[in-house]
Amino acid sequence: MSELSIPHNASEPGPSAEPRKVPVVDIVPRRGLLDLDLGSVWRYRELLVVLIMRDIQVLYKQAALGAAWAVIQPLFAVAVFTVIFGHFAKMPSDGIPYPVFAFAAVLPWTYFSEAVRRSATGLVNDSELVRKVYFPRLLVPLSNVVTPLVDFTIAFAILVLMMLWFGVPLSLRMLAIIPLITVAMMLALAVSLWLGPVNVRFRDIKHTLPFVLQIWMYASPIVYPLSMVPAQWKLLYSLNPMVGVIEGFRWAVFNRGAPDFGATAVSAAIILVLLFGGLVFFKRMERSFADMI
Amino acid sequence: MSKEIAISAHGLGKRYMRRAAGSRSDSLRDALKNGFKSVLSGGASGTQETFWALKDASFEIARGENVGIIGLNGAGKSTLLKVLSRITTPTTGSARISGRMGALLEVGTGFHGELTGRENTFLYGAILGMSRAEVARKFDAIVDFAEIGEFIDMPVKRYSSGMYVRLAFAVAAHLDPDILLLDEVLAVGDFMFQRKCMNFAADLEKKGATILFVSHNMFSIKSMCERVIYLKRGQVVYDGPTDVGLKMYEDDSRLTVSSWFHDESPKPSMTITDAQLLDESGKETGVIDYGQRLTVRIHYKTFRPIEQPDFRLGINRSDEIHCSTYSSYADGVNIPMIDGEGMLELRTAPMTLVSELYTANISVREKGYGRTVCAQVAGHFHLRHPVFASNAFGVYHESGEWRLETAVPKILAAG
Repeated sequence: MSELSIPHNASEPGPSAEPRKVPVVDIVPRRGLLDLDLGSVWRYRELLVVLIMRDIQVLYKQAALGAAWAVIQPLFAVAVFTVIFGHFAKMPSDGIPYPVFAFAAVLPWTYFSEAVRRSATGLVNDSELVRKVYFPRLLVPLSNVVTPLVDFTIAFAILVLMMLWFGVPLSLRMLAIIPLITVAMMLALAVSLWLGPVNVRFRDIKHTLPFVLQIWMYASPIVYPLSMVPAQWKLLYSLNPMVGVIEGFRWAVFNRGAPDFGATAVSAAIILVLLFGGLVFFKRMERSFADMI
Repeated sequence: MSKEIAISAHGLGKRYMRRAAGSRSDSLRDALKNGFKSVLSGGASGTQETFWALKDASFEIARGENVGIIGLNGAGKSTLLKVLSRITTPTTGSARISGRMGALLEVGTGFHGELTGRENTFLYGAILGMSRAEVARKFDAIVDFAEIGEFIDMPVKRYSSGMYVRLAFAVAAHLDPDILLLDEVLAVGDFMFQRKCMNFAADLEKKGATILFVSHNMFSIKSMCERVIYLKRGQVVYDGPTDVGLKMYEDDSRLTVSSWFHDESPKPSMTITDAQLLDESGKETGVIDYGQRLTVRIHYKTFRPIEQPDFRLGINRSDEIHCSTYSSYADGVNIPMIDGEGMLELRTAPMTLVSELYTANISVREKGYGRTVCAQVAGHFHLRHPVFASNAFGVYHESGEWRLETAVPKILAAG
């Protein structure tokens, strides 16, 4: 390497040139299993914001009805549930008008399933980017769990209107929805950190996901109240972290029952384990995304 | 440290799994059968064949240096850029990048058709690593460079492909990196825009940026780089002054299949086994003088009978300008059929091209203007014109007849 031809224009910055911090990047075959390199996500936070903005802009530009979909989708689900479960099956709803009862649960569920669907398939949808540009791949699931929050916020306004219509009093307790939706977001992220990399390799995930989400929905107290679940199954049932989120929503909206702190703790622990494991798995798989996608 | 190192690579290697086309098992069920281990190892099971796209590449690039990466298709050029730009991780070795790096492996990656030019400018800027404030500051200059005008607020799906590329490149050109990795991206757009791109690269060079440049365009390599790294089957076979490296590359690329040609038939129909470029004295040569005839001897071998073959010799300048084509069919030579081995000799008209480096490409079409059955590089030659020493004087030169009339003004004569 000693006979490198150095071009004459390799002008060294003179002493007057202000000292500039030169970023140094080391490229190595593999990092430690627990080296999650979350700092890079922070350094690329502007791109994260831009990707979120892009998805929101595209979402509302491509659909003729635009933001109306955010309302139509959950309202339609609630209408179906009200007719089938509320009317025909005479499903108990803890004394709350069935449409509001269902809507308070459909709201976080719609957010959750949309977040999982988007972020589990996001890497493949952005495959062009993954193949041609470097950026921390974590931005893809991260941005995709944030985007559906817009739909959620619009639908939430509808919930408030429905509460007024059905005479359910508003209260400050409803602020609890903010930490609750954050928990749903963490769970969606955790799930897609596992599913996203698998979907890069096996496109089956895209086709399997709707079924899994459908089953998950019926395993959550959305069309029926938690009180209907037999006591001996309660513990197993509450292993589903969405149970805590949905019951929390109903508590915040209708002030029925008290939050089950035991079940919430179990949910939190499950989410944390899934999230951390997901991060390790994602970082492990991330190295080969560009080669396989 | 007498000089600052921008990029240093030590034993970089990248191994890929070779998958036969169509046999890739994308089904989760198959993978589960093979055990969950295959998911963890990225789909690799012990039976799959592997190959090294890049192997044991070591080099150092000083700050401000422009280095060209050359090699035939599949030699590992793009893999090297992908590893250095962190798109993919190396299997072995390590590299250190000192400085802000911009990588342009493709112009316009990440553009979204539904978004306007303005929205895409911010999106693409962020993708390339610019902050929002930086894009906002350079926004007017970007729109100016792209010559996009009021179209900036129109969705890019309505852009012509030229506008699209111009805007994308304009954003990239304002990245201001310390180190720039370029992969063939200068080969897009029309001629005027290519000039603009070359000027952009020259400007960066003046600012002291380090440029790593992959190209098939020997002209841009020659004009931009003092040094080349020549990759062959994933390995660095030469690293040094451009002239020497290009010569090696040219010698190696003789008789290789032309990059544009993809044989669609399952079996090759024919191949050029040898090609010689001879000057008027019959000597094999790499230099032809202006006005001399070039003789090309084409030795071929067919694997099936080829009906009415049209042998063609295309002459390409080093900047990929296709200068002329000789065709046996167009010249009225009737060859009913060839089968087996043979030799065909072409003697060109006196060469009228200007001084430059040219590539002679042989291609054969079946049944006159039918399907191409073979396309290979015959070789390279320099043309030597006594006066016109570069392509700045055009593609070809022919002598004209001149006549001068002078009328000496009387006033001057008297004065």
